[in-house]
Amino acid sequence: MSDEPLIATATTLNTIRPELLTMTFGQMAALSPWIWALGGALSMMLAAVLFKTWKWVVPALMIMATAGAAWSSTMLMDLGDQFLFNRMMLVDRFTLVFTVLFAISALVTTLSSMKYLDREGLQHPEYYILMLFSMIGMMNMVSALDLVVIFVALELMSISVYVLVGFRRADRRSNEAAVKYFVLGGAASAVFLYGSALLYGATGSINIQEILAAVEAGRAGGSLLFVLGAALVIFGFLFKVASFPFHMWMPDVYEGAPAPITGFMTTGIKAASFATFVRVMAGLGYGDGLAEAVQKHLHDILWISAALTMVIGNVIALTQVNLKRMLAYSSIAHTGYLLVGILVGPASDSGYGPIYLYLLAYTVMNLGAFAVLSALAKRGDSGINLHDMAGLSKRQPLMAFGMAVFLFSMAGIPPTAGFAAKYLLFYSAVQAGEIWITVIAVLCSAISVYYYLRVLVYMYMREPAEAGGSAGRSWMASAAVLAMIVLTLQIGVLPSRVIETAKSISKTAVPQIGQAGARAAR
Amino acid sequence: MTAINPIAFYLFAGVALAFSVMTVLRKNPVSSAFSLVMVFFSFAGIYAILGAHLIATLQVLVYAGAIMVLFVFVVMLLNSDSPSFDFRRTPALFRVAAGLVCAALFVLFVRVFKNSPPVLTPGAFTAEAVDAAGGNTRVISELMFSEYVLPFELTSVLLLAAIVGAVALAKRHSVAKPVSKKGVAHVAATR
Repeated sequence: MSDEPLIATATTLNTIRPELLTMTFGQMAALSPWIWALGGALSMMLAAVLFKTWKWVVPALMIMATAGAAWSSTMLMDLGDQFLFNRMMLVDRFTLVFTVLFAISALVTTLSSMKYLDREGLQHPEYYILMLFSMIGMMNMVSALDLVVIFVALELMSISVYVLVGFRRADRRSNEAAVKYFVLGGAASAVFLYGSALLYGATGSINIQEILAAVEAGRAGGSLLFVLGAALVIFGFLFKVASFPFHMWMPDVYEGAPAPITGFMTTGIKAASFATFVRVMAGLGYGDGLAEAVQKHLHDILWISAALTMVIGNVIALTQVNLKRMLAYSSIAHTGYLLVGILVGPASDSGYGPIYLYLLAYTVMNLGAFAVLSALAKRGDSGINLHDMAGLSKRQPLMAFGMAVFLFSMAGIPPTAGFAAKYLLFYSAVQAGEIWITVIAVLCSAISVYYYLRVLVYMYMREPAEAGGSAGRSWMASAAVLAMIVLTLQIGVLPSRVIETAKSISKTAVPQIGQAGARAAR
Repeated sequence: MTAINPIAFYLFAGVALAFSVMTVLRKNPVSSAFSLVMVFFSFAGIYAILGAHLIATLQVLVYAGAIMVLFVFVVMLLNSDSPSFDFRRTPALFRVAAGLVCAALFVLFVRVFKNSPPVLTPGAFTAEAVDAAGGNTRVISELMFSEYVLPFELTSVLLLAAIVGAVALAKRHSVAKPVSKKGVAHVAATR
């Protein structure tokens, strides 16, 4: 797709450009994950209206759409970079591997939701449709090269989830969580949008590549307007990933949301926000091309936020007895580790690769943990406190074993995925010369072992307090838990293939304007 | 771009600011909503003096017209007179801190805008060029379906998701009713 620069040489405007309305074969092929997802969403809406038996049709379509999106993404890995829609969208390996991650997240959440929704009396087709819409938003966010597209995709992702958080309408906490998330999320979107406007003022473009080009040409990198815009955009993302000091909303929202949706939020939304965060940071010229002072400024913002996020998340998690809330604080702590990854990314050899590996490992283990919680929860999301776990190994051995594997993985104990991810992340931090933040991260990681393993003690070494009837079993949830156990162990024992993928995407995470061809020609 | 009329700008901007403050401070939700209508009207005025006539018209039609009327209807139907939050009961420390933060932000923004370059390089879309190409409406509609087709289509997906979400929240779930009562009782007991 060749395009003329917006800054026209003549006074006449060239607004009709037929070349934008055609697509090459490669570009069409690159859209196939979107065709699966969007086609799935629309056919689910139709099926919900047309069939009385939608209860089986809609989840089946959901499984088909997510599996199809994941499958077509893996097929496209060797397609090469495809720029689409006037270079507002880029389908490259970075986009595709994250699309696979989102699809896994939506698929596993669907499996663990079926029984859960029956128990809560909430089996409605909108639940699955909104989840798929949220996934489409995530896919568009990761592939976007334009701040406006990022914003619209961010809203698509968030608005669907606001509704899902409040899906248990009869529950006070669910309502509170939805309103809290909606109001604060709206404010964060506004901050992000204002930052984008200031970036446009400073660089003359909202395209990430053109912003990067302006920074590298020294036209904007040092101006105060640029710094303020960049800081506001970063704050918007820090809110979305719930890092200090924008983490206040998270425990309440995660506790109030239906358990499977909490799993979806901690994995899908977090991964999408971090992936886009990486793209935008690279586009702002972080670590490469920024003026020295600005670079230091952005570095310090991230450093302080990362350090405090890790400390606060881990320390508060120590005192939690509700497992959903404990995992929420642990999720804040993991956000801190991931911020370290962004902080050191440009200065280390593996670039942003460790972030992908960490997000993949975190997605797998956290989805598993929430699938277990969804299966164990009683009506109204009760019965998932620490003491309810007592003697779980006798009542439900598979769930207990799964939870044990996931908690070991979150604590970062080998041979699990969490260990491989943490090892690579901390290694790249040391390589980048960030010794102090690594020390803090390792210490926090040691603190976290206490509250993760405490659950294990309850599950395996305490007798059940009462012979309470366990919640009914669902083979779908069991299958999901089993698959996540296998993946957690597989990434932990044989991480090399995933690491290779992670390293290969970290090179393309930064969309260089020169690679595009069209720009280079001028 | 031709220079904009400073008197008109300060008039509209001042009205917008004054009514924004009113929107936040008024106790009666209906009068808050009407202050917001005034804010939208002044924004339309600012768009008009910038030469974006189509946007100004749409602002009046869509925001001040359709959306705000719906908004006012909802506010009136809900009839929520009692404020759920009384800002006079916030601790003094919080108020002082909030004031300081606001002042600091104000100083920061003034400083940033004073130090930024006075005139950014104008893009291709000057008022004259747009007029020569057939006017605002034509240029926007042409751009929307070529250059900006992705955000445009994505917005329609967003609206679809919002409709589904609104239905999901507003629909009467008859099956869930007996369940929900128990759920509430249970939650109340555990809290």
